[in-house]
Amino acid sequence: MTLSKDTSMLGRGVKRKWSCLEELEAEGLPDAAEEKQQSASDESAESGDEAGLLPPRSDMSHLQQRQLVLGLCLEKLQRYQAGMELSLRRSVLLINTLRQIQEEMRSDGVGTCTSDVLLNGVHPDSCLLRDDFREEDMPVTCPGCAEGDAESLSPPLSPEFPSPEAAGDQQKPPPAATVSTFSDAVNAMGYLSDLALDDIFEDIDTSMYETSDLPSAWSAGSLWPVSVSLWPDEDVKMRPGSHSSAGSLQSCLTDLNELDHIMEILVKS
Amino acid sequence: MAGPGGGSNDVQWCFSQVKGSIDDDVAEADIISTVEFNHSGELLATGDKGGRVVIFQQEPESKNQPQCRGEYNVYSTFQSHEPEFDYLKSLEIEEKINKIRWLPQKNAAQFLLSTNDKTIKLWKISERDKRPEGYNLKEEDGRYRDPNSVTALRVPVFRPMDLMVEASPRRVFANAHTYHINSISVNSDYETYLSADDLRINLWHLEITDRSFNIVDIKPANMEELTEVITAAEFHPNQCNTFVYSSSKGTIRMCDMRASALCDKHAKLFEEPEDPNNRSFFSEIISSISDVKFSHSGRYMMTRDYLSVKIWDLNMETRPVETYQVHEYLRSKLCSLYENDCIFDKFECCWNGNDSVVMTGSYNNFFRMFDRGYRQDVTLEASRENSKPRSVLKPRKVSTGGKRKKDEISVDSLDFNKKILHTAWHPLDNIIAVATTNNLYIFQEKLN
Repeated sequence: MTLSKDTSMLGRGVKRKWSCLEELEAEGLPDAAEEKQQSASDESAESGDEAGLLPPRSDMSHLQQRQLVLGLCLEKLQRYQAGMELSLRRSVLLINTLRQIQEEMRSDGVGTCTSDVLLNGVHPDSCLLRDDFREEDMPVTCPGCAEGDAESLSPPLSPEFPSPEAAGDQQKPPPAATVSTFSDAVNAMGYLSDLALDDIFEDIDTSMYETSDLPSAWSAGSLWPVSVSLWPDEDVKMRPGSHSSAGSLQSCLTDLNELDHIMEILVKS
Repeated sequence: MAGPGGGSNDVQWCFSQVKGSIDDDVAEADIISTVEFNHSGELLATGDKGGRVVIFQQEPESKNQPQCRGEYNVYSTFQSHEPEFDYLKSLEIEEKINKIRWLPQKNAAQFLLSTNDKTIKLWKISERDKRPEGYNLKEEDGRYRDPNSVTALRVPVFRPMDLMVEASPRRVFANAHTYHINSISVNSDYETYLSADDLRINLWHLEITDRSFNIVDIKPANMEELTEVITAAEFHPNQCNTFVYSSSKGTIRMCDMRASALCDKHAKLFEEPEDPNNRSFFSEIISSISDVKFSHSGRYMMTRDYLSVKIWDLNMETRPVETYQVHEYLRSKLCSLYENDCIFDKFECCWNGNDSVVMTGSYNNFFRMFDRGYRQDVTLEASRENSKPRSVLKPRKVSTGGKRKKDEISVDSLDFNKKILHTAWHPLDNIIAVATTNNLYIFQEKLN
């Protein structure tokens, strides 16, 4: 559809890359937006399927859509980094969407990756998802399943992980290594939100990450590194040693990127 | 009102005028951000992103062309707000005019309230068509005369002059809003008005600028718990104690100021239960109400969310009495619209003078009218192609299925940069003002 990607003339647009969703729509996959929220069963996947394709696909495309929306959410919230002011209404709506996705991921059980599961290499959900996997599709990455994809997609958090994953991977076709920036951020945050930081960084000096800007919610396991900084209490005009709201979120996200970078180095070494 | 308007067989809409530059290259300052008729319909005000207000005045109907209602011509233009810089937060305060509301006319002058994100201003627009002439000590051009040259005295008299329209700021209501103002509404007592931002609503007296009362505050103690913001607010047209405000979660709260000073407890809560079949990641975003308007009668109110317009009976909180789909074909495109931010667009809506028809905008410069009585709706387009004087607007149709009929436009061909967010309906006649990005279209009912 001719949704103009460059809406900069109206002052708020951001140039976009070719969206994976456009590929999905072009290929005639069921319109993701029409998917109903999936519970454990697949029976509900019948209705709302505009393109008339078969239900079993909807399970994966719902997850794909979720991943896409999650990434877009983060990308939009990252606009603070670019110095662009996001209206309070828009940030509230984005954060609520983010919360909804997180809740869903939690209830699906994919958010609870523990080191044990990863080391075993086989995650029940990952098998299900990879059955229908096509190479040109955007990688389906819930934090748990992404372990298997970790090698090509984003660096795993520990040097120990790649070997069990490689073993588990051999049976399935490796997914395309389409690493998009928001996928990185998502994976990194997904990992960090649910894995105890201490386990991973036992022998790594984490002092540079332990800044006052990172809220305690981070280590408590919630997906909210962005929330606190996003809505500073604007009524409080003076804050001890504070930067602007954009500043704290900015440093938060900078830390994220640095973390990614460090991980890449660790994996390659 | 000449019969039911909108989609019924009775009314056909004709192009009347278009204001604004023909240039395809839109200057950002020219983007229209609000449109409002005054109470008589004689004046039409627009505000733009550059902080300017332009007022058009309707020409009196000419006897030569009784079938044509008067044209609107520029009456006054002034710079209402200037960009400001908040040094404390290192943020620029936009001069964009978010809303204009007219005060009812009490004397020869006209008054309107205009607001940007932070400051509301009361403007007086007055006409001057006479000027004093014949001063003893001054020449006509203002230079002082040499007193020695004055030999006789005369009394200065008022002589007619070319009409001059002056706009002067009479009140500035500032520093009362931490968050961005989205609505202002004049009370039916004509003494007070409210201003609403994302989290608070304040009550002002028109004469008093250094004080306002906070009547709604939904800010949580811990900002991390924030999940809902105020999106619009309006006073009841007749009951000066009643107002409503809408939220980003699709709820409307009606408050009674007699109950308490702080109206945090609503008197009524209007909310429609969500349709489980339509649940998606975007459910909350599309349920966010972008506009709320009372009917002229005060018996109903209308809300606009992303895909629909809902009419509520104030006596029934559980669900709207009428729901009109504006562009349901977009429901399957929500993900793309989320990606390009169009899903956050805030469309306004309006009633016609006798509350029989409602109107709202859409994409591709389309706008929609829903006739409540005849249960008909029509889609029209504001474009330069249909801008021959008095040419009748042809109804447009968006094809949703596979087969596209002739003259239909497919969903994928819609231009999402051409959005009509602001529309206004003359309070008495079938004249409408429709704002595209930087042009103002005026359409009139076809009179035979």
